[in-house]
Amino acid sequence: MGLVFSRLFSSLFGNKEARILVLGLDNAGKTTILYRLQMGEVVSTIPTIGFNVETVQYNNIKFQVWDLGGQTSIRPYWRCYFPNTQAIIYVVDSSDTDRLVVAKEEFHAILEEEELKGAVVLIYANKQDLPGALDDAAVTESLELHKIKSRQWAIFKTSAIKGEGLFEGLDWLSNTLKSGGG
Amino acid sequence: MSGHDSKYFSTTKKGEIPELKEELNSQYKDKRKDAVKKVIAAMTVGKDVSSLFTDVVNCMQTENLELKKLVYLYLINYAKSQPDLAILAVNTFVKDSQDPNPLIRALAVRTMGCIRVDKITEYLCDPLQRCLKDDDPYVRKTAAICVAKLYDINAELVEDRGFLDALKDLISDNNPMVVANAVAALAEIQESSSRPIFEITSHTLSKLLTALNECTEWGQVFILDALSKYKAADAREAENIVERVTPRLQHANCAVVLSAVKMILQQMELITSTDVVRNLCKKMAPPLVTLLSAEPEIQYVALRNINLIVQKRPTILAHEIKVFFCKYNDPIYVKMEKLEIMIKLASDRNIDQVLLEFKEYATEVDVDFVRKAVRAIGRCAIKLERAAERCISVLLELIKIKVNYVVQEAIIVIKDIFRRYPNTYESIIATLCESLDTLDEPEAKASMIWIIGEYAERIDNADELLESFLESFPEEPPQVQLQLLTATVKLFLKKPTEGPQQMIQVVLNNATVETDNPDLRDRAYIYWRLLSTDPEAAKDVVLAEKPVISDDSNQLDPSLLDELLSNIATLSSVYHKPPEAFITRVKTTQKTEDEEYADAGEQGYSDSPAGVAESGVSPPASTAIAQHPAARQPATPAAPALPDLLDLGMDNSNSAIVSADQPAAPAGPPLPVVLPASSGQGLQISAQLVRRDGQVFYSMMFENNSQVPLDGFMIQFNKNTFGLAAGGQLQVPQLLPGTSASTLLPMVLFQNISPGPPNTLLQVAVKNNQQPVWYFNDKIYFHVLFTEDGRMERSTFLETWKSLPDSNEVSRDFPSSVINGVETTLDRLASSNMFFIAKRKHANQEVLYLSAKIPQGIPFLIELTTVIGTPGVKCAIKTPSPEMAPLFFEAVETLLKS
Repeated sequence: MGLVFSRLFSSLFGNKEARILVLGLDNAGKTTILYRLQMGEVVSTIPTIGFNVETVQYNNIKFQVWDLGGQTSIRPYWRCYFPNTQAIIYVVDSSDTDRLVVAKEEFHAILEEEELKGAVVLIYANKQDLPGALDDAAVTESLELHKIKSRQWAIFKTSAIKGEGLFEGLDWLSNTLKSGGG
Repeated sequence: MSGHDSKYFSTTKKGEIPELKEELNSQYKDKRKDAVKKVIAAMTVGKDVSSLFTDVVNCMQTENLELKKLVYLYLINYAKSQPDLAILAVNTFVKDSQDPNPLIRALAVRTMGCIRVDKITEYLCDPLQRCLKDDDPYVRKTAAICVAKLYDINAELVEDRGFLDALKDLISDNNPMVVANAVAALAEIQESSSRPIFEITSHTLSKLLTALNECTEWGQVFILDALSKYKAADAREAENIVERVTPRLQHANCAVVLSAVKMILQQMELITSTDVVRNLCKKMAPPLVTLLSAEPEIQYVALRNINLIVQKRPTILAHEIKVFFCKYNDPIYVKMEKLEIMIKLASDRNIDQVLLEFKEYATEVDVDFVRKAVRAIGRCAIKLERAAERCISVLLELIKIKVNYVVQEAIIVIKDIFRRYPNTYESIIATLCESLDTLDEPEAKASMIWIIGEYAERIDNADELLESFLESFPEEPPQVQLQLLTATVKLFLKKPTEGPQQMIQVVLNNATVETDNPDLRDRAYIYWRLLSTDPEAAKDVVLAEKPVISDDSNQLDPSLLDELLSNIATLSSVYHKPPEAFITRVKTTQKTEDEEYADAGEQGYSDSPAGVAESGVSPPASTAIAQHPAARQPATPAAPALPDLLDLGMDNSNSAIVSADQPAAPAGPPLPVVLPASSGQGLQISAQLVRRDGQVFYSMMFENNSQVPLDGFMIQFNKNTFGLAAGGQLQVPQLLPGTSASTLLPMVLFQNISPGPPNTLLQVAVKNNQQPVWYFNDKIYFHVLFTEDGRMERSTFLETWKSLPDSNEVSRDFPSSVINGVETTLDRLASSNMFFIAKRKHANQEVLYLSAKIPQGIPFLIELTTVIGTPGVKCAIKTPSPEMAPLFFEAVETLLKS
């Protein structure tokens, strides 16, 4: 009997892990966010040459989170990770106003990808703790998020160092995925 | 060229690679692990699974040690072929090098050292630095070895980052294993550097001596080898070191024993006290003797080393000759070496015993061994004057057995004995002459003839004996001819009577007019001139007193001996060759161009066959790549491995282009463009079928005029008349924008034969990872199918011609073709495997008959009729497959035009 129930449950959302890519320019805070989500603490990081992958359990959903390096040299290999991805977390350094244009271009290039057509998009306007950081509205403007068509997206103000906004974003993500948005 | 041709690329079967790819991306850990195992299995049997690189690397971050090791193994194998993607693994390495588990830390740093990709070496430095200072000794010692590996990849980086100093610090490590490995790493680095890097100081010396007693046996070998290079300050220090090392002689591992012996021998050079030296010699004997009770292979190595030791310090084993007596069941290679050492140890004191042994050996069954035993007796005779007589009597006893090869070998050594002790043992000549008829080997014959000539005055019938040899003079080998010539001249000078006079005429005539051998001719002319101008001078020259010989065969030059002794317990001491004669080390630092060229020159002249092929840095190496038999196998799976072998540190993708380029870029017309850049989104393909070395190749050139790098090229051929299909993988490296690459794709025949009338259409589809599939049409040049065995005998040609019915004869006129010269035309046709059989003149017309053959043995008999120099050639052919005729005519017309 228990077996039947567990089967029923798993069929609601499979017990499949949701595959999530954390993307963004270098020094946006992707790795810090990943370990904040996974361990709940701030770890010291070095530039990620390659990738990190961790499993994060939240709201009864297992996320398989892939944090990919943001260096220019590594960005071309992001595409190796695109297949079977349910969601993208795009991390933006809100205080790095100079490179918001680059961030925007990379972002829209990703959205063009055929293999990511069905993926929902969560944007973290990170580093809100830094002075001079743009707020979510301003980041929305800079990234031209309003141009996104036929795709669910959301933007959250976050500070990975302080741990603010991250789980709100994850709430949105898990709800969206549960409702079949992914 | 329509879209539905894409079916050639899509089959219902998915194939192994896509299936593995799917499993590697499975959400289940077990499935992923199984998939990686399958990938490794495929890799080990030689299947190319490099296309799964990212998928495998994605499995790298795992808790599972087994899985991690497998992924690491994969990376070591394929990182070179995917240098760009290898960067994806870096972060995991960095993480693993900080893992709480020391095994994982060591594994990570070891694997990083094995990945020889320039782009990632710089990322290796930080983890390496950390691991060199790790708390765990296992990690430290692995890191030490890794420094040596890194030095091989990028010496400058190692020096800039201060790794050499870190390594030297490790010599003072409190863990003996770490010390041993640091020593090993430093020694290896020193070997590839021309600058002194690793020098033992009195401080490190004491550290090493302490570690020596505590570390593993192989660690001891490293330390002993390093110590043997240490130049002690004075005799006292040398004595002290030796004293500390002597206990190693009792070690059970023979490598340790030999290294200890080496080390002691080196330090003994400095020790002046004869007492100490004698004492040490005494101590070294038992361990060396013990080595001879090991397996035959080890015995052999020990014997080769003992051979050197005995030459330097015969006293060590002077009393141990008995252990070198051959046992009946010793393998032949051990027996031969033992014999050599017995000769070296033979002395007046033990010669009787030794001679008994030799005599015994001379009656064994193995011919080579018997010969060597006989020769050994002779060498002892030469070496020990007082024993010479005994040796000779043993030799005479052996001659009496009348075993052919024993007799011959004995005569050879007796000749040497005569040279060594002139005018002493000539009484035995009579006995020797009895065996004259049995001699059939050149060396034995030559020796006997020398004896006859040298002692002609004491042999009554010397002229008769020589005459018997003269009959066969022209047939004798040069060695014997030369001796016959000299012996006859000697005879003539000693007995200038009528008989010898006639003989000398015959011999000089034979040796001058009748011979092609310049040595023989020159010598004969010199004698002739001498004899005709001044017979007295001839006597002075020919019968001059000869210097006494000594036995220096198998004696090494003292400087070579010293070098070999410093390499005891290495391959060098087994080969008896200095290391540079069979290996080439690439010196990485502080070398000017000039030096490199000088090195290369020397290697070019070295007689070691490996010398040229392995020469590292300079021009010979690059030619070696260019001349790599890639021409036959342009798929060059070996080519990327070459730079590795040569340790050129070359960028891999580059070299792949180079090696693919070489065979495919013959001097000749450019390949026709089959896919213009305008219709290939910037990709231009030129291609043509060619025949080379009896095989059909598709010679292709890819030019990337687009803005993106293109990779993952694949090719497919549609069904065609001859069933031409790719005989291997298309090997095209990643093409960066603006670059091009050529390749020769081997083709096979009769794979997918399209039905219907024969035609020359070849439909080709090419794809890559970035672009849609490209289709293009090419033309099959019929003449590339002509095989090399198409030549026919005249009679066969006539018979075949007659046997084929007239309906099989087809002809065609080529109104615009001209044959201007018969010879040049025939040469050209022959180079395309159309072979000339005969020609005749018919009025003013020239009629040529030729033959050709296509695979499956279908012959074409050809008759070409033309007026030389005037347009218009008529071609008539007869063949069992007249349906091929149109294609054939097309080919002939092309060939006549070209």
